[in-house]
Amino acid sequence: MEALRENEAEEKEEEKKAFKIGDELQDLEEKLSKIQVHIPNIHEFDWSSVDTSQLPASYKINSAKEKMMLHIAANFRRQYTHLCPDRKELFLHPLNECGVEKFVSTTVRPTLLPYPDLYNWDGCARFVSDYLTMEPLPNPIEPPSSLFSPTTILKYQRGNCFDFSMLLCSLLIGVGYDAYCVYGYATREICMMDETREVCPLLKKSKEAQKETVKEKTEKYAVKPPRDLRSKFELQQAAKKEAEIQVAKQKKQEEEEERIMEAEKPKPDSLYGLRVHAWVLVLSGKREVPESFFIDPFTAKSYSTTDGHFLGIEALWNHVNYWVNMQSCLNGCKDLIFDLGNPLRWEFMLLGADKPLLLLPNEEEEEELADEDLDNLDKEEEEKGSDMPPSWVDPIQISLKEFETRCPQGKKVIHYKKAKLEKWAPYLNSNGLVERLTVFEDQDCTKVLEVTQWFKNREDLLEMRQVNKITEVTTEYFGPGHALGLKAHVYKSMNPETERTMEFYNETRVDGLRKRVENAREMTEYFAGRSDFLYYRHTNFGKRTKRAQILVANPDANARPIMQIKECFHRNLEKPANEDVAERIFMISEERILLTYHLQENYITASKREFIKRADVDNKGNKIIMTPDMCLNYQVGSSQEDKKLIHLYKMMLKLMEEEKRLKHQVWESGTEVLEILKIREEEEGANKLTVSIYDTERNEKGKKQREAMERQMQEERQRQDEQDLDYLAPFIIQMGNIEKMTKWQALRLKEDCLTDFKYRLIDKANIIQLRFEKETQELQKKQQWYQQNQLSMTVEDEEAYIAYCSDAMFRIRILEMRLNRHKETAPQKYIALEEKLCKDPRLSEYLKLYA
Amino acid sequence: MNRIYDTIEPNVIDQEMLQKAVEEQGPQEEAGQLAKREGIDFKDVTELQLDFRNILKIDNLWQFANLTKLQLDNNIIEKIEALDSLVHLVWLDLSFNNIETIEGLHALVKLQDLSLYNNRISKIENMDTLQELQIFSIGNNNLTSLENVVYLRKFSKLRTLNLTGNPLCDNEQYSMFIAAHLPDLVYLDFRLVDENTRELAEIKYQYAIDELKQGEAQALAKLEEEQAKQKELDYHKAAYVEYLNGPFLLESMYAEDAEANKLAYLPGMPDLLETYRNKFESVCEKLFAYGLEQYEKRQAEVSTFYKCLQEALAANQEQGRKIILEFENQNVGLLEVVQDMSSFDMAETKLAKYNNDITQLSDTLMTLEMQTVDQLEEIIKDFERNIADLVSTFIENVQGMMAQCRDLENHHHEKLLEISINTLEKIVKSEFEEEIPDDVRMLFVDKDTIVNAVNASHDIHLLKIDNREDDIITKANSWQAVVIEEVHKNEIARNRSRVKEINQYIDHLQEELDNLESLEPVE
Repeated sequence: MEALRENEAEEKEEEKKAFKIGDELQDLEEKLSKIQVHIPNIHEFDWSSVDTSQLPASYKINSAKEKMMLHIAANFRRQYTHLCPDRKELFLHPLNECGVEKFVSTTVRPTLLPYPDLYNWDGCARFVSDYLTMEPLPNPIEPPSSLFSPTTILKYQRGNCFDFSMLLCSLLIGVGYDAYCVYGYATREICMMDETREVCPLLKKSKEAQKETVKEKTEKYAVKPPRDLRSKFELQQAAKKEAEIQVAKQKKQEEEEERIMEAEKPKPDSLYGLRVHAWVLVLSGKREVPESFFIDPFTAKSYSTTDGHFLGIEALWNHVNYWVNMQSCLNGCKDLIFDLGNPLRWEFMLLGADKPLLLLPNEEEEEELADEDLDNLDKEEEEKGSDMPPSWVDPIQISLKEFETRCPQGKKVIHYKKAKLEKWAPYLNSNGLVERLTVFEDQDCTKVLEVTQWFKNREDLLEMRQVNKITEVTTEYFGPGHALGLKAHVYKSMNPETERTMEFYNETRVDGLRKRVENAREMTEYFAGRSDFLYYRHTNFGKRTKRAQILVANPDANARPIMQIKECFHRNLEKPANEDVAERIFMISEERILLTYHLQENYITASKREFIKRADVDNKGNKIIMTPDMCLNYQVGSSQEDKKLIHLYKMMLKLMEEEKRLKHQVWESGTEVLEILKIREEEEGANKLTVSIYDTERNEKGKKQREAMERQMQEERQRQDEQDLDYLAPFIIQMGNIEKMTKWQALRLKEDCLTDFKYRLIDKANIIQLRFEKETQELQKKQQWYQQNQLSMTVEDEEAYIAYCSDAMFRIRILEMRLNRHKETAPQKYIALEEKLCKDPRLSEYLKLYA
Repeated sequence: MNRIYDTIEPNVIDQEMLQKAVEEQGPQEEAGQLAKREGIDFKDVTELQLDFRNILKIDNLWQFANLTKLQLDNNIIEKIEALDSLVHLVWLDLSFNNIETIEGLHALVKLQDLSLYNNRISKIENMDTLQELQIFSIGNNNLTSLENVVYLRKFSKLRTLNLTGNPLCDNEQYSMFIAAHLPDLVYLDFRLVDENTRELAEIKYQYAIDELKQGEAQALAKLEEEQAKQKELDYHKAAYVEYLNGPFLLESMYAEDAEANKLAYLPGMPDLLETYRNKFESVCEKLFAYGLEQYEKRQAEVSTFYKCLQEALAANQEQGRKIILEFENQNVGLLEVVQDMSSFDMAETKLAKYNNDITQLSDTLMTLEMQTVDQLEEIIKDFERNIADLVSTFIENVQGMMAQCRDLENHHHEKLLEISINTLEKIVKSEFEEEIPDDVRMLFVDKDTIVNAVNASHDIHLLKIDNREDDIITKANSWQAVVIEEVHKNEIARNRSRVKEINQYIDHLQEELDNLESLEPVE
């Protein structure tokens, strides 16, 4: 395919040499090569195809200082190989993407990025591990021959462990950690990013601190327990037996565990201890890190420095210096001490660079700490150890979009032990899915146990869905703000009247409903924070009668018949306990109502009352209102203080009213469930995502508005431009078609325009002069008239005359000034117009030639 | 209107009238039939309407102890009286009567709505206790002075006020004045007090109001201070060491002692008195501090005991509750099942078992109660002993300190005697130069007189000290007795009530069973 296109392109190239189609071809090729990038498992990414043409000069040549540095490094290497001939070659100055040797410390580019997530080490590490795709080292037992700049790595979103470490180290130093790149050896699992033996961190149950309530110390007057009259010997024997059984059980369990461990053990690694890896070391001291630790850049996990996965360290470096480990690694990293100031343990390359940690007696340490603080301030300017040249790498830049997208193509898959974790960038999936954890039953990941999905930015506020494949129970969790305050929904099927549990945000609900558990025959509702102290309501339903089933048309009639409603209340302290109902049961089918009251203080039995609803008519045909045997009482405390029948009657009426209300409420609950189910189904179908109004990228409405505004602005500007008069227009119209003007025509056009302008200027001068003359004439007339009538004039008239004179003189003077100014500016204006005409796009071509 | 009433016979509130009113206003229809059959107790009535009945005198309402709403409007009542027993009253309507003064309302502390419309009242007064008042209607009366309305500032919950038809409404400042002086008022004369008027009024009467406010604040502060003082005194009293943290005891010793005052003029006395006073005061202070400390200790002891007692009782209640619940759960629906059972024998055995269970339950509960009684008895004994120890130590120490006081007094007495004798000798020898008042000089006529005088003073002092000591000791002892007695009484009451409860419950169960058995043969 590619070849074919190339051929085509070549043909075209031959055909139309005038056009620069070659560029496009290159572009095409580049794009095609990029496409290959996305299938890394099949095609190895070709690093040699990296486009280096855009890179700045510092990437391509070495400055004098850098050369000097390389020289020092070469010297160091020579001495090192001489002193330790049996050790591996140092990783000092690999080639960069432009094929130039660069010292590793200068490749570290400390950068502080403007994302709060990247301010802590775990955030940085997670970002690096998510953002880049892991590539194994070309040779698992040798360090790579080249080391690219972090910027290039970021651009192509892939790299080996060294690239990962360099990038992470740059970020960590940027946010102030005392971080180092480590070159050493690790286990296969670490090197190959093989987490299939690890338990997924999401599955690790946070160990519940089972805080045993500290037994209150027995108070002075605590009652003594009744004497234990059982035989002590027998108890002892029983305890012994129990213990034996326990031990046997434990043993069995241990054996079982061992067996499983055995089965899961990885195959032995033939390259154990030889596999090269690079990771990051963070030393304690800065950023309140209490203890030094390793970060594996592939998995973003932190390990203690004594972890068994790391088998040895060759060297480590940061942006200022390079240290070679002189300690024995026979025991992995367990015995290593990270006091980089100690030359016996760590051979440094540059002397004056600074000694990060010298583990010497305490007194000096304090001093050092103080010094370090001071140093820290100075270091910024001094570039910390002036020996090391500044980094040749450009500052690391990550756009917000890239930062959000995270993983290459926005998707990442991690395999864990019996689990698979998939991650997506937000908004990538139309249903808002961002994470999915699949838990398997077996090692080979064939039988799914449970699937957990996390969502973000969904309009229905669904945050998490858990599907248990064995019990087929789905659990959905919602954020606050869902319709009807839904918080969680546990169900097997979406059909109504099946087993389901709904939890609600009771603070947002008027009825304070917290939870509703339902199945075919009963419904239980839990409440919280109600003013009537109700906290529990349980409804039993009977089977639908056939008759009701026929009446499907009327949904109310189709409701399940209610057999019994039970309600429980908290204690209302405003009422005496004997009048505060704790529990009431409406046995609707049996026509009975049972009341149980709260316990009085120090009483162990609660008052009870039972109402029996009887037929309303007795044998004589009289209406029975209330008889004593319709109400069975058990009154605690005071001896059967009979309440008057009238009160009981009132109570019963009230209860019957309540019963009616409750029936309605239960029906309402049922409809609410149906409504929620309907809403859920609609939402599930719609799959809508919300966009924050602050998200300028994705907020369609905002974007449109902004664009509209911009468009409007532009139009405004255009209109303004148009409003500037086109002085040529009238003449062009006179000339008719001006698409193709001859030179002569252009000249004439210009002449016409200029003459017209000249006439206008002269006209203007004439008008001013005319007015001037008129004004002077009038003044003269007035003066004559004044002289004639001077004697017969009143004082007022005289005053008016004087006022007129001064007014007129003022006008005349203004006109005179205006005329003078016009005379001065007119030639300038004329010249300006001429120039403008010369530059006019419509004429310039012709006029230029003429000139 | 009065003319009409003149022609009509005034009425008295009597049994008949009340009965009729209650029946008319009581429950209707079916409930009414029931009520009629059973009769209505006056104390169950919460609302009563006695209007247009020409009542002259309020009387015979004491039976309506739970009344919340009482309407006595449109009568010819002249005096508010006989309402003291209606303490639950929330609404009282006395409009359209002939009342001249507000009185007899002090017991109605829950009153929220009071109507005195259309009476002959000329002054708002005697309502200090009605702190819950929200609506007050006193239109169509003879109120003349605007200043009198300031009295209503007392009622912080007052929101609605009706004053129309009073002479004071003719004052042009009327609405402004009310708005300024009753800032929390929402409705005046059936109209909303608008913000505008209120602001204007506030500006206008700012100074007057500020003055009023200041006066009120001062009064409040004073009250609080007094309360705090009283509280502290109560605290000291509870520790039996009131007035011991200063020279009060000493002063009281000298207060009734005329001789001592005279003797104070002797040479050298001021110094002697000063040192005596200081020493005495320091002892008193010590006693005071010790008293407070011991008081705290006693309180702590008592509260610990009650806490433990509560815990034990709660545990016991829990246990009993569990037993009963177990029993009930086991036998839930048993009776119904038995009733429906076809086989008589089966039912019989079931019932027998149930009967057995009931007896068993009774036994279990009683055993539990016995055990609790034993346990409690033990801790009560402990408590008793500890309290007795505490009190006896306290008394001993107090006695010790009082002995110190007595020693001081004795010492002082000796010194005083010495000085007196010396002075006497000097006077006898006419060497005494200093000026002393005549009545003091009178003491020094001979040795007996002066010695008697000094001794009398000494006796008075000792008596005072003894009295104080006795006082403390009696109080401490009586406290001990009271505490212990209360504990015993409570325990006995608890035991009685529990046993009674168990019996009652068992009886109840038995009764249910008997009912069933009595039914069975019939069926």
